[in-house]
Amino acid sequence: MADGYEIVSIDDLDRYDGWVKEDPVLRPLRRRVGFRPFGLNCWEANAVGGHIIASHSEVGGDEELYIVLRGRATFTVAGETIDAPAGTLVHVPAGTPRQAVAAEEETIVLAAGAKPGEAFEPKGWEDFHIAVARFRAGDAGAIDDMLAQHAHEWQGFYNAACLEALDGNADRAFDHLRRALALDPKAPREYAAGDQDFASLHDDQRWKDLIG
Amino acid sequence: MSSVHVDDLARIAMPDGFVWRPIRRHFGIRAFGVNAYTAAEVGKHVVERHTENTYGHEEIYLVLRGRALFTVDGNEHELAAGQLVCVHDPAIKREAVALDEDTVVLAFGGKPGVAHETTPWEAMFAANPAYLAEDWDEAIRIHEEALEERPDNAPLLFNLACMEARGGRTLDALLHLKRAVELDPKWAGEAARDSDFDSIRSEPGFP
Repeated sequence: MADGYEIVSIDDLDRYDGWVKEDPVLRPLRRRVGFRPFGLNCWEANAVGGHIIASHSEVGGDEELYIVLRGRATFTVAGETIDAPAGTLVHVPAGTPRQAVAAEEETIVLAAGAKPGEAFEPKGWEDFHIAVARFRAGDAGAIDDMLAQHAHEWQGFYNAACLEALDGNADRAFDHLRRALALDPKAPREYAAGDQDFASLHDDQRWKDLIG
Repeated sequence: MSSVHVDDLARIAMPDGFVWRPIRRHFGIRAFGVNAYTAAEVGKHVVERHTENTYGHEEIYLVLRGRALFTVDGNEHELAAGQLVCVHDPAIKREAVALDEDTVVLAFGGKPGVAHETTPWEAMFAANPAYLAEDWDEAIRIHEEALEERPDNAPLLFNLACMEARGGRTLDALLHLKRAVELDPKWAGEAARDSDFDSIRSEPGFP
């Protein structure tokens, strides 16, 4: 990096898979170049037809702009389907359901987002996504790193519990769930009740005690 | 929700040879700055020579299509589609010229640590075609629209006064110029040098 500026190719960005093969693949841009004013990341799919933008609504209040940099994507926004070849821009206000799948090989979508009227601060989901990818790739230290970065956020412990449950480590999963519930007694319980990542724990008495 | 292809965005040709393709303004985005730029022809500017000292913005320029020759802090870099330059330091001079037909550069920018505010240059750029066509009513309308969001923005008030003076609205021009000078006295000096005010320079109340 030269002093005060940096040149990067999107092909050189790191690559982080999601929870399952069908999930979008994160190519972090904002953190790669240390860009501070708002959120900016690239996304790919593992295969044509796979999700390139996960189904979500930005309930936290971010407005987002998606730009198809390469290939072709099919967006579904508030029930409407949009065929989006390279060069297409899709703007979605906060609270609107949206998702996209790759319609061609090597499709890349750039997502820009922030909450109007507020100074931008990076959110934990980037760290959580990266921790999941590292854990899936066999990096046992990924969970500890994530928890060290987010020691005061229930989401970190919740995601750690998911990973341990999926990996068959019930004791560690319950330990993380307890710590998530200590930080927020309500939200983790609501999410866990419908989260299939915890299916292996459902017959355990500790699940009934903690989640009901 | 809305979508548009970059080739269908408005084309606002600027004097330096680059063509502004407004994205933020097209969608009414409030949370961040984003625009596209093309060049009038190969070899012309696709990003004008400038710094970001005025607004303190950190910026990313991403080549969406084609190739561009960037000059950043005096260093030349040829960037192809998919390559980007992130300029952290607002004081760094940066510019780019198009090397291919149909080169498109996306620009993302904002000031770190503060909520994004729409910058007044967008309205000034948007009014440029009306200015060149001497369509003063349209140029004034675009400035008034921007001032509804930022009523005490001195550069916008100054530019509005320019358009009003050219359009024969002498009293409005004097009023808005007076307000711009109240907010920042440097605009009195700018008015003294700006030929847009020739028609009202001798009026009582001209700063």
